[in-house]
Amino acid sequence: MIHITSLTKRYNGKPALKQLNMDIGKGVIFGLLGPNGAGKTTLISILNGLSNFQEGEIRIFDLPLYDNLKEIRRRCTLIPQSLALYEHLTVIENLRFFAGIQGIVGTALRTNLDYAISVNRLDKFLEQKAATLSGGQKRRLNIAIGLLNSPEILYFDEPTIGIDPESRNDILETIRTFKEDKKTVIYTSHYMEEIEKICDEAAIINNGEIIRQGSLQTMLQENNDPSMTLESLFIRLTSQDTSNA
Amino acid sequence: MLKAMLKKEFILILRDKHALAALFIMPSIFILIMSMALKDTFSSDRAFIHYAIVDQDKSPISFEIASSLRASATLQESEQTITDQKQLQQALNSGLHFALTIPSGYSAQFSQEKSNRLLRLDVASDVKQDMLALFKGELSGILMRLRVKNMLQELESMLPGITEQSEAAMLNNKELEVHFNALEENQSPTSTQQSVPSWIVFGMFFIIIPMSTIFINERKQNTLMRMQSMNVSIPLLFTGKIVPYMIINQLQVWLMIAVGIFIVPLLGADALTLGNSLPGLVMVSTGLSLAAIGTSILIAVSVNTVEQATTIGGLVNILFGAIGGVMVPKFFMPPGMQTLSNISPMSWGLEGFLDVFLRNLGAGEVLFESLALAGFGIVLLLTAWLIFANRTKNGL
Repeated sequence: MIHITSLTKRYNGKPALKQLNMDIGKGVIFGLLGPNGAGKTTLISILNGLSNFQEGEIRIFDLPLYDNLKEIRRRCTLIPQSLALYEHLTVIENLRFFAGIQGIVGTALRTNLDYAISVNRLDKFLEQKAATLSGGQKRRLNIAIGLLNSPEILYFDEPTIGIDPESRNDILETIRTFKEDKKTVIYTSHYMEEIEKICDEAAIINNGEIIRQGSLQTMLQENNDPSMTLESLFIRLTSQDTSNA
Repeated sequence: MLKAMLKKEFILILRDKHALAALFIMPSIFILIMSMALKDTFSSDRAFIHYAIVDQDKSPISFEIASSLRASATLQESEQTITDQKQLQQALNSGLHFALTIPSGYSAQFSQEKSNRLLRLDVASDVKQDMLALFKGELSGILMRLRVKNMLQELESMLPGITEQSEAAMLNNKELEVHFNALEENQSPTSTQQSVPSWIVFGMFFIIIPMSTIFINERKQNTLMRMQSMNVSIPLLFTGKIVPYMIINQLQVWLMIAVGIFIVPLLGADALTLGNSLPGLVMVSTGLSLAAIGTSILIAVSVNTVEQATTIGGLVNILFGAIGGVMVPKFFMPPGMQTLSNISPMSWGLEGFLDVFLRNLGAGEVLFESLALAGFGIVLLLTAWLIFANRTKNGL
């Protein structure tokens, strides 16, 4: 689904991503872990064609990214960390607007709207202005907007920031349902337990480099330590990497 | 795609009461206030120079001077009685512009070549030079006519009937006809025609605040970035802003014209009369709209916060207005300032509207101003495009 080969990105000459290689298959929930400034959001931006890169190759759906950006964007969605929606529009107005700018009309609009609304349980709030929703409901609307084009790949950039545990669980449950629909999810988060809970595979990024990648199960079993958690592994790997650097 | 963007932009504006007030109510109030405030300045019906006569001579000449001054349309004689210096000073400090003292013995020396009995004119300290010149001109004309009349009376013994003939000639002889350029016979420019175009221009630039506020919020919340990830290009994004605000600008123009035509007369000022060129009006307002939108988007993409946009937008609006002759009409400005005013797009827009409203000119005559405004707007939009593309090239 997503093949990244030797990806390098520099900001004003400073490397933000260094020789990144990654393969993400269909129907996988893939976690991207890393401390602040590790390069997670940069990678998500590049994969969405919002930022360029200097070296390497990216193929999505077996298509080179920049030659097929429109087609690839049509089949993917980005759910940003910030609430990228209109507070003064109602829930349904927000959904119709974002569907409208993607040219989704007719039956596709009705089907996709129904799906986005029901998966995120927004039925009761359709006529309510986004500004009046709770933090969790806003996050769910943010996700619903991302489902309007019936995407095959979903990029989640820290989607649970700043919400209560119950709403967070709701969102994680929702994301888990995407796996059943054979959708691929790329999920970045600071919360290790979230990654452990929903992801099949993960990559730990630090200082623009992948320091560990693979299935979560393999990663946790590699030291034959039954008490090993993703958090302790993450701390060990990132502190090692920092001291090596 | 564009339809969805237009709908969204309209809903956002319609739900923003402050933006609506700034876009539609404030300019309308400006028009009402300024049309009323400047009513007398442009009116030829009402006297606006207040004077008093202190007649110490009490002669036929002094009576004739007083009655001639009283006949002038621009002068209004005060009913205050002035008998001493204290009263004179009090009157000049409380609205009286001039006090003309005719000294006793003035008439006795009136026809003499050299006289030591001069008229005295006391002037209030806030009187401007042009008002003083106007009063002096009026008085000189009266004195000149009186001297000619005296001379004719002296010639009467040699040329019987000359006084009567000359007086009849003076009464009937209308030596000057005033025609205002491009206006119909007996028509003169009104305060409404001067102030409506000014405040239309100023009001159209009020879009800077709501437009940049919405844009900056969209950028800060990554809504614009999300739209880009949904294949919305920068030209489409900008078009989604340009079209609704052009429609809003047109609504503003017609609302303010309606205020000038229907509301202003209810308050006692003259109604706005439209020129003869609807295409000319549309051309100027479209060009002006592009200039205002270009300015708004450039500010929106260049600053980081809504506060910065509000401050800079407000300043730009006031500066363009002050330089461009919106707040102070250009003909009041010294020549240097009049030249400087040409750098303001508001000045081009104002001249365009005055061409249509006041000078009755058509589309051909306002083509240059309209193209200049549109060109200015397009250059700013292209600059905004470059800045925005550069600011968003590094993604989220």
